[in-house]
Amino acid sequence: MGKKLDFAIGILNGAIGDHLVRTDNGLAIEMAFMKDGAQVAPADAAIGPRVVVLVHGLMCTESIWEFPDGDDYGARLARDHGYTPLYVRYNTGRAIFENGEALSTLLARLVAAHPGVLDEVLLLGYSMGGLVARSACHAAATSGAPWLPLVRRAIYVGTPHQGAPLERVGRAVSRVLREIPDPYTRLIAEIADLRSEGVKDLGESPIRGEDRVDADRAAFSLREPTHPVPLLPQIRHRLIAGAVGEEPWMEALFGDAMVPVTSALGRRTSAPPCEVTILRGQTHATLPHADAVYEVITEELSGGERP
Amino acid sequence: MKKELRGVKALLRDAVHHGSVAVERVQLETARRPFAILEAIPGVKVPAAIVHVIHDASVTGTHAVIRAVNGAVHGLADKALVEVETVVPPTAPREDPP
Repeated sequence: MGKKLDFAIGILNGAIGDHLVRTDNGLAIEMAFMKDGAQVAPADAAIGPRVVVLVHGLMCTESIWEFPDGDDYGARLARDHGYTPLYVRYNTGRAIFENGEALSTLLARLVAAHPGVLDEVLLLGYSMGGLVARSACHAAATSGAPWLPLVRRAIYVGTPHQGAPLERVGRAVSRVLREIPDPYTRLIAEIADLRSEGVKDLGESPIRGEDRVDADRAAFSLREPTHPVPLLPQIRHRLIAGAVGEEPWMEALFGDAMVPVTSALGRRTSAPPCEVTILRGQTHATLPHADAVYEVITEELSGGERP
Repeated sequence: MKKELRGVKALLRDAVHHGSVAVERVQLETARRPFAILEAIPGVKVPAAIVHVIHDASVTGTHAVIRAVNGAVHGLADKALVEVETVVPPTAPREDPP
């Protein structure tokens, strides 16, 4: 399939991917490693001792990582640091914890298929991908999955650790419309509520199933929630946030235009000490393929071993 | 590609079905208000009630037909896809030249 069609299906999955899964629709994306637009089974992946797992964000595919010249963070990490890139494609409309569990299973299959080969797994998540990576780590820690001890670092690029206000505003508007006793406003609310579980999860960014908020009973709050699940202390975490402008007020008000800086830096997360970086002049759309981000990744990789 | 085609077909069927259900509900609810007012006026109560029943029946009937046709088109498209798959077998992988 062409990249444009793949991207369109990625958008569709982000919008109504949970419905596609429920109805067993052939357009639903199954989580897999991808190479040149085709799925690669974990056993068939040609890997070295160090791999970087790239997890894309909502409504996109692995092509979001591409620079205009066709390069990407994975290819650069292979060239400069000897990592084998593994690009994950998944249905971003499913709940974050479901994708986290699927990623944990996929990585477990990878480790099982290449016994004794892997020495390090580097997780690189963009936007929702960072939450999926965190959720996978949590699932692996709970189930004792064999790949987790191989993870020394996780890098989150524009990840809304405390949720995205756009979803919370959307939820509030939908709730107000539903309360108005008019069939047309209720219809608009119903159409708005068709958005996928993945989109709804971005309100609070729950990485466990039990932390998910029922949209009908959610507290009517636009504030960022305090996240109940801390970042795993045995991993070195690097949090990268974008900011649309150079001025502090622009940074505080708009973040990277989608994710507030406080959310991307997990300031209300009970987190172990971790490195944070704010990249001014980078929007949410530019973060997955920006030289400045790659410089931070390079700096992180040359920053020493596990703390 | 067949999987995707079948997916698009199923999605269109779902969209028409759920859209029809939603529009039917909106049309019935929208009509309920003016009919409720008319049915409260002693002089026109009975004829208004009759027109209300006819209106609701025609709306429900129209949407039932839309959903039935949608289901039939879905069935036909299924058969057409099977026919296409029978007539045009999947292309064999191309062999590299020696």
